[in-house]
Amino acid sequence: MLQPLRETCRRLLEDGTVQVVIGYGQAVRAVEPYPVFITDPDEVGQLVWNEQCRTNLVKYLLRKEIRALGKPAIVVKGCDERALVVLEQESQLDRSQMVVIGVACDGMAEPRCEVCDAHQPRFADVTIGQADNQDQPAERRYAHLRQFLEQPLASRMAYWKTELERCVKCYACRQACPLCYCERCIVDKNRPTCLDTSATLKGNFAWHIVRAFHLASRCVGCDQCSRVCPEGIDLRLLNLSLARAAEADFGYRAGTAREAEPVLGHYSQQDQEDFIR
Amino acid sequence: MSQVISKPALRRLVESWLRQGKRVFAPVQIRPNLVSYQPVRSPEQVQLEGFVRPLNSIKEVVFPRHEKLFQYRVRGKQIDLVPEPLPAVEQVVLAARPCDAAALPILDHVFNWDFRDAAYNRRRELTTVVTLACTEHDAHCFCTSVGSRPDDPRGSDALLLDVGGDAFEVRWMTDKGQSLFAGQTEASTRTGRAGPGPERRADLARVGQLLEHAFERAEWPAWTNRCLGCGACAYGCPTCHCFDMVDEGGPSCGARVRNWDTCQANQFTLHASGHNPRGVQSQRQRQRIYHKFHVYPQKFGELLCTGCGNCTRNCPVSLGVLPVLEAVQAEAS
Repeated sequence: MLQPLRETCRRLLEDGTVQVVIGYGQAVRAVEPYPVFITDPDEVGQLVWNEQCRTNLVKYLLRKEIRALGKPAIVVKGCDERALVVLEQESQLDRSQMVVIGVACDGMAEPRCEVCDAHQPRFADVTIGQADNQDQPAERRYAHLRQFLEQPLASRMAYWKTELERCVKCYACRQACPLCYCERCIVDKNRPTCLDTSATLKGNFAWHIVRAFHLASRCVGCDQCSRVCPEGIDLRLLNLSLARAAEADFGYRAGTAREAEPVLGHYSQQDQEDFIR
Repeated sequence: MSQVISKPALRRLVESWLRQGKRVFAPVQIRPNLVSYQPVRSPEQVQLEGFVRPLNSIKEVVFPRHEKLFQYRVRGKQIDLVPEPLPAVEQVVLAARPCDAAALPILDHVFNWDFRDAAYNRRRELTTVVTLACTEHDAHCFCTSVGSRPDDPRGSDALLLDVGGDAFEVRWMTDKGQSLFAGQTEASTRTGRAGPGPERRADLARVGQLLEHAFERAEWPAWTNRCLGCGACAYGCPTCHCFDMVDEGGPSCGARVRNWDTCQANQFTLHASGHNPRGVQSQRQRQRIYHKFHVYPQKFGELLCTGCGNCTRNCPVSLGVLPVLEAVQAEAS
């Protein structure tokens, strides 16, 4: 896997197809791999691929510091790739201006990997390796959420109070999210202030609920927000809840089909309207 | 002769502190692989072993993430400002790590420099810090690179050291620390020991010199471009102390509050004019490194870092100060 990956990247850089490769690297002492941006074909040896390449690199396609490096090639897993599809649908990316290198993945030992049905990338320009995409029935994909919802309302509320109490509003969830791309986030608006910026229970509930709403039917379940939260808050539950609503009510799974119309950007006569009274 | 306290006796002591109405902060196991300093309600919650260090810091006991400064009320043309009463509850931090305790004297400089911060100082007076020397370290620890060590007593009122088995040696540095343990320890011939500590990874005297001439170096983007611009490093850091002040409430009443802020956010240095002197992430990373290892030492004579490694531990992309310092060091040699 690694050798073909490095060779592909070397070729793309050497023949000038791209100016930068966004991939994973790892220093000898580093505990896990981290994102690297390679511009010199002789440095493709820095690239690594292992079962700890958990970061969704798609976020870097939107960051101006990385855009300034030139036309990119990006390494994606099958799950990361779904974020690319949504960004393309939302006109945030021009796929003709990048090369997408899909790498087959057997799972990164994260909870979402247990129910993953996108081990093999489907929309990449170049795909390296082979993995099986097994169908995962919805009841398996949402099992974590269903378990949580089995608790009575009062215990769920108590759970979120305990969890969100710890949130320090570092915004790692937002910064790591490939679909949080607002130039000025609503929580950063201060003339006037829209949401409490304080990391109090009230401010934290407001923040996480608003972020969830903004990701409704858009979240692809890459779970970067859960992964990066320094307080270990299981934001995955919010993601799953949103994704299930989009799937149950609109038969839509974000980022699984390039030609699909985004739920919030599209009207169909078949849309449910039983909530209009 | 040393003074020792058994673990059950220490837990009984925690219970008595709680009964006296003190707030007790200690490491608490939130879930596997997640230990965090939290206020405890019972002595059983206190986690004394089985982890390297909590992912947050104890700065919150003296510098909370959110603090009301005063309340305002507007009635017609009259504006009333109601000052927030100063804190009054005594606090004990139990089983702080030396790299957390050492941050308090460092923070004292900035909160007593051109302005004496009353709330900070009051909290500091009300707080007694009982540190537990480290027996383990991980790949992110680098206290020995910033002149500290696993049993550094700096900033502690008392220091606990593992004597093996079910007890700690207690050493006190201050009267506050001594009175907290008064009559609860036993004389013993056993003495405690800390672990060996991490190997030195950076020569901070040298890095300080290198930074003299590194501000304009072209490598800053290469060293730091992966930073995503969140505040996980700053908020888990025992020494980061920047805050933002905002008014919360409506036009007729509300409060002015201060909240933690981070220099990694784009808005942190954004001017009202729209100009941003630190407009890209590498400039903001450089800012953080310079503040900690150049500006603060020049101004106050010591580093704004205790080598706890939380910045890297909490970083979504394994950055933090040590990888950058190592890069600065490697590039120059």
